[in-house]
Amino acid sequence: MGFTVDFHAEEEKNVRKTFFLVFIFLLIMALFGLIIDIVFALFPIFTIVLLVVALIQVLISLKRGKQVVLRSLQARPLNEDDFDEKQLRNIVDELSIASGMAVPPEVYVIDNDKVLNAFATGSNQENAVVCVTTGLLKTLNREETSGVIAHELSHIINRDVLLMTVISSLLGAVVILKIFALRALFSYLRFGAYRSVAGRRRSSKSGDKSALAIIAFLAAVAALGALFSFVGRLTLLAVSRTREYFADSRAVELTRNPSGLSSALRKIWSGSEKMKTASVATAHLFVSDPLKRKLNNRTSFISNLFSTHPPIHSRIAILENRSEEDVRNELSALNEGSHH
Amino acid sequence: MWILWVVIAVVVILLLWLISVYNALVRIRKRVDNAWAQIDVQLKRRHDLVPNLVSAVKGYMKFEQETLDKVIKARAAAVSAKGMDDRIQAEQELGGFLGRLLAVVENYPDLKANQNVQKLMEELTTTENKISYARQFYNDTATRFNTKIEVFPNNVVTGMFGGKFDSVPLFEIVEASQREAPKVDLSF
Repeated sequence: MGFTVDFHAEEEKNVRKTFFLVFIFLLIMALFGLIIDIVFALFPIFTIVLLVVALIQVLISLKRGKQVVLRSLQARPLNEDDFDEKQLRNIVDELSIASGMAVPPEVYVIDNDKVLNAFATGSNQENAVVCVTTGLLKTLNREETSGVIAHELSHIINRDVLLMTVISSLLGAVVILKIFALRALFSYLRFGAYRSVAGRRRSSKSGDKSALAIIAFLAAVAALGALFSFVGRLTLLAVSRTREYFADSRAVELTRNPSGLSSALRKIWSGSEKMKTASVATAHLFVSDPLKRKLNNRTSFISNLFSTHPPIHSRIAILENRSEEDVRNELSALNEGSHH
Repeated sequence: MWILWVVIAVVVILLLWLISVYNALVRIRKRVDNAWAQIDVQLKRRHDLVPNLVSAVKGYMKFEQETLDKVIKARAAAVSAKGMDDRIQAEQELGGFLGRLLAVVENYPDLKANQNVQKLMEELTTTENKISYARQFYNDTATRFNTKIEVFPNNVVTGMFGGKFDSVPLFEIVEASQREAPKVDLSF
């Protein structure tokens, strides 16, 4: 076989990365707590509080992340009496056999005929979920749907889903910390300013000093939080982009049929509208960007840094073994055709 | 005295290494067995499905009696086949005829519009896909196992355990029956 990627090694790498991230996150939260404790001489109250908050955040993201995502996107369990949805169930079962999964994942459906997209979530193989829109079911044929489902199953087997879920919920925690620090800073500034006006006559030099220290500290926490969330976002995006190529290649390994996925990507690109229920927090889970940001189809350095998915023309070019330029021209011709 | 300790350490390390290699081989061997069992499950489903399908399409396909007869006969042969090689042979024959049946149905719009038939056809399609995916997974796993037992130094370990880690056969596709294009009779 001509596959050069060892997917088992990839899976282990992702699990290790997740552990590492969680560890770093706990460390940062503890450090924040420690700094606060030292400044206000409250040790160990804040260290413990922040550590507990961080641990709860990690546990929740692993246990409940799936439900939160499904609810926010208004997904429902599939209905086996419907022919298309029964066929979807069959396709998922087939590819679970192809990938050697012990239990096939649950299947959910989003009732939205205008959007063609699919995503996977769940922290491990046993409680994984694959979710597709009704638009995708109605527009794609059996072969194309198989390509998309294989792509999603690959995310599950490679443990991309675990890594992604954990990163995005940890990011949430850092963002909360940043907002908390900013709020505290603003209210302290207002309060501090009021006090300094009221007590102008009693000029206490030492009071000014400690006030300055507190302001500097809160500003530092807010700035650090902003920095971490920014770097974290970029990491998430970088991870997300490379995982898409891996998932595409493994999808082909499973179906032994690159044309199914490439033709599905083409239809998704030309026939899908923006998904209203999706957000920046869930966009990276989908097979192609549900927000249809122009960014994802450019190839400059900045757009590379900020996009969740590699450009569709690059993915099709790899699947069909053609030049990117060639595919891009074909797609833009296709797009103009659909607008006239 | 320290030489004794060195010898003991070397022996312990060798033993640990032996155990880990042995366990890894057992694990992947189990995976191969599971993959084979999965093929078996899907073949049973195929056997159960064929009579239903044939009786559902019989009324519409008067001109294809021959195709239907062949499917029924091949199924009977597959159900009663004994031994690995015979079974593989019989299943391949059945698979070939079922593939032909699926292709022929495309020529009967009435039949394709019938919801019951549509459902049965989807069931047959998914079962056929499951069989070929299960076979693909079995072959991939078996190839990985066969490679693992032959590379050095694993082959030293497998040599020590005699017949326990023999290479497993692949579920090959007999090219002739698989490649045969479905014959579509348009002469009526």
